Amino acid sequence: MATLSSAISAAASALSVERTRIEAAVSNLANAESTRSVNGQPYRRRDVVVRAEPVDSFSAALGRSTATGVKVSAVVEDQSDFRRRYEPSHPDADKNGFVSLPNVDAPQEMVDMLGAARAYQANLAAIGIIRDMVAKALELGKG
Amino acid sequence: MPLDPLTLSSATGSVLNRPKAGGGAEAGTGAGATASFGEALGRLIDGVEQSSATANTALGGMMDKTTDVHEAMIALQREELSLQLTIQIRNKLVSAYQEIMRMPI
Amino acid sequence: MNTIDDAALIEALRQQMTKSVARQVAAAGNLANVDTPNYKAVEPTFADALKGQLQMAAPRAGHINPGDASKPQMREIKDAVARRDGNTVELDRELLTMTRASGDFAQAQTALAAKFKLVRYAINESK
Repeated sequence: MATLSSAISAAASALSVERTRIEAAVSNLANAESTRSVNGQPYRRRDVVVRAEPVDSFSAALGRSTATGVKVSAVVEDQSDFRRRYEPSHPDADKNGFVSLPNVDAPQEMVDMLGAARAYQANLAAIGIIRDMVAKALELGKG
Repeated sequence: MPLDPLTLSSATGSVLNRPKAGGGAEAGTGAGATASFGEALGRLIDGVEQSSATANTALGGMMDKTTDVHEAMIALQREELSLQLTIQIRNKLVSAYQEIMRMPI
Repeated sequence: MNTIDDAALIEALRQQMTKSVARQVAAAGNLANVDTPNYKAVEPTFADALKGQLQMAAPRAGHINPGDASKPQMREIKDAVARRDGNTVELDRELLTMTRASGDFAQAQTALAAKFKLVRYAINESK
């Protein structure tokens, strides 16, 4: 049966995933107005693809139950259309006066970032709770 | 069949406080009494061995994370109780034996 | 049999701890996947009722009783509301579950520790 230590592993896996999501949101916000990134194109929003995964795949393969953790399967570029804004004076304006801007919706990025931060905090708290439980269990072994 | 120390210790009052039989009764049932003492002690020792094996398995499981910590700790405690009970009973049996040996025939 | 003997009580407390662990593991998995698209929050189900456990005969000596608590089935939480990405995990609910499971665990542990101490005393102090 899945033990408390696999539960801690599950919570720990979430910490790195949520951190990656925060980093992506920060990058998106920082580049929300970058009309020209390294490839000459406007910055494309970074999207973190997340997937559930058993904490111990070896045990899971053996049919033993293990806690379900999470992992980043990929960080991809959001392929939705760029925003367009009419600004003929902009150096990157096209011949019709429109500028292509990154497909970043700043308020949405803020929401995602705060959600990721909250999830990070919750998983951190979970590790503490579980660790205390293990300590309590060990006390049973004493005098 | 091994004896579980916890079941036995519920009746600990009667086991450990078994009244010393009078000389006459003891002699008459000496053989029978020895046989049942031996049998009871044998069962207790089986109980200790079994709870020790269970505890070792549980502790091993705890270390490679296949068994919960609390299961291992409970198994450890049961092993300890099993051992303590057996030692106590052995001590009582030894002192009862010495008592009997001192009795004039 | 109306009286609950030591062995049955200890077994019941052990089961309470095991069930709390199962709840904790499920909650940890849910919490870790709060942002996983389409993840459905799960909880363990236990086949037996605790009352039934107290009446059972004492387990065989040294035998770690598997009982029904060691292989809990995980089922999706009933009436869970899904967000737009299909995820049904509610952060606060999972944290509450964890706090409760932790409390139940500590309660059983304290009772067990006290019980072991009393039995040990009875064994060693009998004259």
